[in-house]
Amino acid sequence: MEVVNFIINNILTQAAITIALIAMAGLILQKKPVGNVISGTLKTLLGFQVLSAGSSIIVQALTYFGQIFTEGFGMEGIIPSIESINGQAMNDLGLGSQIALTFLAIFICNILIARFTKWKYIFLTGQAILWMATMCTVFGYFAGLRGFPLILVGGIIGGIFAVAMPAIAQPIIRKITGSNDIALGHFCTIGYMFTAGVSKLVGDPSKSTEDLKLPKGFEFLQDTYLSVMVVMVPMFVITAAFAGPEFCAQFAGSTNYLMHAFLQAIQFVVGVYVLLSGVRLLLGEIVPAFRGIAMKVVPNAIPALDCPVLFPYAPNAVIVGFVSTTIGSVVAMFVLPVFSLPMILPGMLTNFFAGGTAGIFGNATGGRRGAIISGICHGFFITLLPALLVGIFNGLGFINATATDVDTVAAALLYAWLLLPLFKMMGV
Amino acid sequence: MANLKILMVCGAGLGSSFACQMTTEDVINSLGVQVDLDHSDISSALSYNPDIIMTAENFRSQFANYTIDESKTTMIYLKNIVSKKEIEEKLTPVLKAKGVL
Repeated sequence: MEVVNFIINNILTQAAITIALIAMAGLILQKKPVGNVISGTLKTLLGFQVLSAGSSIIVQALTYFGQIFTEGFGMEGIIPSIESINGQAMNDLGLGSQIALTFLAIFICNILIARFTKWKYIFLTGQAILWMATMCTVFGYFAGLRGFPLILVGGIIGGIFAVAMPAIAQPIIRKITGSNDIALGHFCTIGYMFTAGVSKLVGDPSKSTEDLKLPKGFEFLQDTYLSVMVVMVPMFVITAAFAGPEFCAQFAGSTNYLMHAFLQAIQFVVGVYVLLSGVRLLLGEIVPAFRGIAMKVVPNAIPALDCPVLFPYAPNAVIVGFVSTTIGSVVAMFVLPVFSLPMILPGMLTNFFAGGTAGIFGNATGGRRGAIISGICHGFFITLLPALLVGIFNGLGFINATATDVDTVAAALLYAWLLLPLFKMMGV
Repeated sequence: MANLKILMVCGAGLGSSFACQMTTEDVINSLGVQVDLDHSDISSALSYNPDIIMTAENFRSQFANYTIDESKTTMIYLKNIVSKKEIEEKLTPVLKAKGVL
């Protein structure tokens, strides 16, 4: 009994250990040499701890920002961040291991669905699955699920999304890439299909964004961390200016309050950088293992890959989509509070990746006019869905938080609006 | 001699560079050469001192802003970063020039 207790208390509840063991199993299944098994397992372990460190940096910077924003503008402003939801779920709720096991369950369900149905998509964007696993675990947990059912339900819902999202986007991906070799594996697909639909209505596909000449100054925005910094710095500094030196002094100490805000904005980007480096280490071994296994089990599998894979097909559309999505999300920031929804600040990481990809979708169905108009609508749409989630998150104990990535948000709403009442009815 | 280092690069150094790395690994295995593969973001790419950088065509203008020692690091730009055919076509001559193939 002591052994079992030791395993439960020290291995299965330690998320880093759980995920390292999953990676180890994957490496052994592929019959890798002992040296590779050891180094791969350790790298995964390190990656998970780096990821946790990154998310606590982000949470600190966002907590500071939340306080000065409330003081400065007299209302709550929320920076949607799935990374910070992940951090809080792991650090405060202790759900790390459940998230790691749900992650594995989503992989397995994905392979099973691809093996036995005609949808042969294998979802290879590891970080997107990690965020999906986070949302399914958090919402399953609050729907009253524990232990094995929590992981199983999360695995099935995540697995269905992992196949269904690439499948609905595939007709347009074929149009963009001119082949059926790759699919899109990015959980913002509902937003892309929305964009493609709007663009088809308002646009003219004969005039492509790629014939435009864009100013050179925009190009550095392709460097993810720089573009996040460019937006975060003014946001933090202006907010601090509104909050005033007296209020900010409690955080800044003897440092000038504006300089302190500037450094906090940089600190936020540091957190994103550390977190994503952790994700890189974490997934470096797991994803190839999954890919190797999936390709053996599923004949004719189509890999669903992260959205920047599409960027070289229409680089101008990426910038157009990013800018127009940002405009849409700024409009939504001011409009949503009018309808007594919370104020959601633009989440720049999503605006870039999801906005850029939406630009490519918009261009494919409606040319440049379509891409611009539908991009603005897209920005509004991907701000509206997270806004609907804030109230639920508050009820769950996450204060002023919401997630990005509309597909994971849709999964969360599915839990909150459909499964939760269902479980209540069944008395679970 | 140490293995040749090939670095795949994208904006965040996370998703598409990784996908490119996995495809390149297949190509490398079929060519039967020993190289080290890794992936990273643009800002830190050059600090790795790789022998070859593979990245997507849309980052060409970004790399134009950096000073790259062409005798040490060879740039390869790809239109489809997960196309085995394109990677093999563009990588083979570079590997020959570097003397590993």
